[in-house]
Formats: sequence, structure tokens, C-alpha cells
Amino acid sequence: MKKGKQSLAGVIVPVLSILLALLIGAIIMLCLGANPGLAMKSLAIGAFGSKPNIGTTLAKATPLIFTSLCACFAYKCGVFNLGGEGQFIMGSIAAIYVTLVTGITGVPAMILALLAGAVAGGFWGFLPGILKITRGQNEMIISIMFNYIATLLMGVVYTNWLRDGSVPQTASVPKESQLPRVITGMRFTWGFVIAVILGFIIYYLLYRTSAGFKIRAVGINSTAARFNGFPVRKYMLLSFIVSGAIAGLGGSVELLGTQFRLINGFASGYGFDGVAMALIGQLNPVATIFVALFFAALRAGATTMQAATGVPTSVSDIIQALVIVFTVAGMALSKLPEFTAFLQRRAHRREKEVTGA
Amino acid sequence: MSFVSNLILATVRMAIPLLFIALGELYSERAGMVNIGLEGLAAIGSLVGFLICFITGSTWLGILCGALVGVAVNMIYAFATIQLCANHTVYGMAMNIFAPALASFIYRVYFGKGSDLSQITLMKGIGIPVLKDIPFIGPLLFNQTPMVYLAILLVIFTSVFFSKMRSGLNYRAVGENPKAAATLGINVIGTKYLSCVLCGALAGIGGAYLTTCYSNTYTEGNIAGRGFIALAAVIFGRWSAGGILIACLFFGFCDALQIRLQVASIGIPYQFFQMIPYIATVLALSLIGGKKLGPKAAGKPYKKEER
Repeated sequence: MKKGKQSLAGVIVPVLSILLALLIGAIIMLCLGANPGLAMKSLAIGAFGSKPNIGTTLAKATPLIFTSLCACFAYKCGVFNLGGEGQFIMGSIAAIYVTLVTGITGVPAMILALLAGAVAGGFWGFLPGILKITRGQNEMIISIMFNYIATLLMGVVYTNWLRDGSVPQTASVPKESQLPRVITGMRFTWGFVIAVILGFIIYYLLYRTSAGFKIRAVGINSTAARFNGFPVRKYMLLSFIVSGAIAGLGGSVELLGTQFRLINGFASGYGFDGVAMALIGQLNPVATIFVALFFAALRAGATTMQAATGVPTSVSDIIQALVIVFTVAGMALSKLPEFTAFLQRRAHRREKEVTGA
Repeated sequence: MSFVSNLILATVRMAIPLLFIALGELYSERAGMVNIGLEGLAAIGSLVGFLICFITGSTWLGILCGALVGVAVNMIYAFATIQLCANHTVYGMAMNIFAPALASFIYRVYFGKGSDLSQITLMKGIGIPVLKDIPFIGPLLFNQTPMVYLAILLVIFTSVFFSKMRSGLNYRAVGENPKAAATLGINVIGTKYLSCVLCGALAGIGGAYLTTCYSNTYTEGNIAGRGFIALAAVIFGRWSAGGILIACLFFGFCDALQIRLQVASIGIPYQFFQMIPYIATVLALSLIGGKKLGPKAAGKPYKKEER
């Protein structure tokens, strides 16, 4: 009964938060002198209006799904991996080396690049993980520091080691090694399919296997899990590695499927966005896929909105940020004893009215 | 000689924003509020400080407004964590996403798509009479912007406040054991709100310092992890104002060193030098180990009715 109510809140709160955020977004548009109705309409058209637009939305959703699954998996085990961005970048660096330097092309290059990306991301997750369990350090700060280190390392790669020409960027992944599109005329690739399947695999792993149960047990109460004889620290390290590997895989998918080259600003902000989406999706891997789709739609539509109404694209960033601010506050509110008592009182009164009548 | 004196100058200059932000976090954590949203608070403080300074031409007004907006934004965090008992870490993260988005939105709305960077005049240094004439140290330490002196005074005050003053000890009690503090008649909720006001203001000032006293323009991502390095400085400084000063000077030194090395060396990609502060933070945190020395009730929600 109580569990049912909680999961109900887990759906209602994010939906209400999205509506509220869109409302505030509309008010901001109004203040900027734009017609919010027209702006919202062009936003929707930009995201879903045509076959290519839907393709762009799905392509934009792909990296977001990976980083949100990364954040989700680690948080389920009670560790806060804020290093998704760094792990994502390390994955893309590994992928660019496989596709540009080894000389392998075609499908073998793709498979190898994806694997290398996952390994590189996993390694970048292993570092904060091992520091957390051996030195007991705050994994949030450390994983964020590794984000900056990875971003700078990527800078070395595209301004120096693999620089191609006068512009600071790498050469493009050769055509035959790029991830193929699922449907011609739509920008999204098989990377999107991998992301969605991965989401379901993680769901299955976390909720239907005994290892997943143990991981969640560590996340819910690490002391109790330890007294049950679960190797808590091993699971924490493992979840860091797996979560890093998810992000790293995302990085190689993004490189092979969408961006094709490393350049300034690659993956900027994806890590924190992933954390936001995982939290809005109540740490449910399947739900976070939908949240990522919503975020991607906002981004894909924002360009059309800007062209049509002059509202800057950063309005969509504000809307996204408001969704997370409202969702977290709303979930906390729904768990407050005063609030649940208030709901119970109302339900009770209504029951009385019904029986009285 | 000039390498060393430049290094010392830059160390002080780079340590000051960290110091403001880290002291803000100290005030927050001493009341049990673990605020990891510092990066966001500094970002919005930085933008508003720059914008106000750009409009009015007054660096002081810029810093003041940076502080005010830091307080305003941090009140969202305060309400959600104190009143709604939201998880501190999760909500801090939400603020880290919200505040920079707000900052870049305001910047784009105000300046449009113009590519040329708008610039402001930086705050001028003021020499302290007599002291600034001491050979070598004088021009380095006593000919700085007033913000440097202010930061040092704040360190001294904070140190005395938390160790000697009755009100400071009461304040600390809220972070150690809020229920015991409440039975002694200390206003727990009020103290927690006060801590968020102080933290927001100081983080906002730290951000505004970067645009009004350090670089004369605003660029997205100019905080560059300083909010998180400041968090590390609080841990490294073992929750004491003096310790935080040393930690911030150390991290400031790493930052200064990397800038100097970038200038001095040719052939090595500059990004490797830029990694130094981040690697130093990881190493510093790893070296001190995980002994929990902070306030006992940090990060825990305070519910009055619960027994």
C-alpha cells in the first residue's frame, strides 16, 4: 500500500515538475517579448514535427541516455558518481584512437572502438572508486576532478597529438567506421538502439538478479548489507567501474555516431545532465530513458524555437534545470510526515463523507 | 627572483576566491548543511558581479550584488533542505545545474550573440602604509586589492567566532547535535537559515571576485571546478578557518604554478599544466584519508517532531 503510493508520487512529481517548468519557461518567453504559444509550438515542431526532426531528437537523446544510466547505476549502489562526463570523454578518446590510429576500419573498428570506449570509461570510473574504498574519500569531489583532467586530456588530443590541420580538432572518423543509421533520412544511429537495450539490461540486472539485489541493498543501507555479509566495498568499486563503462561506451557511441571528431566543447555538461535525468527518473533505468528523450526534445526543438521566435536556446536549459529543482523538492515534500499525514486526513475525511452520505 | 615573486603574487590572487567559497562552506557545514552547490552559487555570483560592474562601473557594487544573488539562489537550497528535508547532496547537485544555466541565460539575453567580449575595469590594489614598504614581502603581500585584506580578516574572525565566542559555539552545536542544541534554547532552524545566507553570500563573493578582481571578462565555465576544490579545501583544512586558509593557499599555489609553468615552458601541451590543481586536489584528499572530522550532524535532516 505504502509502496504503491510512493511509486505513484514517483510518477506524479516529475510530471508536475515538467509542467511547472514549462509554465515558468513560457512566462520567461513572455517577458522576453515572444509569444509563448508560438514558441512552445515551434519547440514541439522542432522536436517531433517531421521525420528528420524526430531523428535529431533521438540522436541527441543517445548520449544523454548513457550518462543518465551511468549516474543511475552508481547511485543505486549508494555511491555518487559525478564523473560521468570524464568517463564519457575517456571513452571517446579511446574510440578516436582505435578508428584513426590502428588502421582498422569497418565493423571490426566499430566493435573494437565501442569496447575500448567502455574499458577506458570503466578505468576512469575505477580511479575514484578505488580512492573511495581504500582512502574513504569523498567520491563526488574526486570524480569531478577526474572530469576536468579528462577534459584537459581531450584538449591535448585535439590540439596536439591527433590535431588535423590548423583548426584545433581531430580528423573525422572514416565513413566506413561510423555507426550506421537505423532509418535513412533520420539522424539517429544504432547507438540509440544500444542505449535503449542497455537501459533494459540494467533494469533487469538491478531488479531481477541476486547481484543486482545486493547492489541495491548496499545502496539502501550499507551497514545492514555489511552485517549480512555482502562485500560492500567490492560492490561499490564494481558499481563505479560499471557506471564508468556505461558512460565510456556512450562516449564512443557519440563519437562514432554523431560527432565523428573531438573538438572543443565535446560532451560539455553531459555528466551533470545525466545526474539530473537519473534523479528525475527516480533512479529507474527505464524511466531515465524517457526523461532523456524529453531533455533531448527540448534541445532539438530549441533551435527551431530560436529561429521562429528569437527566444534564445538557453531557455531550454533553464526549463531543464527547473525540472530537476522542482522534482527533487517535490519528492522530498511527498515523503514529509506532515504531508503524508495531510493526505491521509483528506482521504479519511472523504471516506467519512462517502459513508455518511 | 621575478619568477618567485610573481608566483607568490599569483598564489595569493588565486587563493582568495577559493578562500571565500570555502569559508562559506565552513559556515554552512558548521550548522550541519553540506552544500555541494558552491560551484553553481559561484557561477551566478560571478555573472551578476560582472554584469553589475559592467553597467555601473563599480566593482564594489558588483561584488555586493554577487553576494546578494548568491544568497537569493541559496535560499532555494535552504528551503528545500531545511523545510522539505531534501537530501543535501542531491539538492546541491540540482543547484549546480540550475544556477549556471541561469547565469548563461542572463548573459545571453543581455549581451545577445555578440562575439566580442565585454570588459570591465578590475578592482585596484591598495597599499597598506608602512607595511607595503617592507622590502620584498611588502609589495607582494601588502599591496593587494581590498578583497585580499577582507578575506584575511574574515579568516581571523571566523577562527575566533567558532573557538572563542559563545554565539559561535552555539552555532557549532547546531551542526553537531541539533536536538541537544534545541533543548538549550538555540534556534536550530534560524541558525541553519543564517548559515545558508552566509554560505550563499560568500560563495557569490568568491565568484564575483573572479570577474571583478581577477579576469576582466565573464566566460562560461569560468569557475572551473573551484566550487568543488573549495569543498576539498574544507576537508583538507579540517573544518577550521586557519586550516582552510592553508589549504586554499596550497590550491592557489598549484593554480599559480601551472600558469607560470605554462608561460615558462614550450613544447609541452599547456593542458598538462592546467591539470595540476585538479590532480593536487585528488592527491591532497587521498593523502589525508577518510577520517570523519566534520560536524557530526552534517547532511542530516532536522525534524523537530522526531524523537
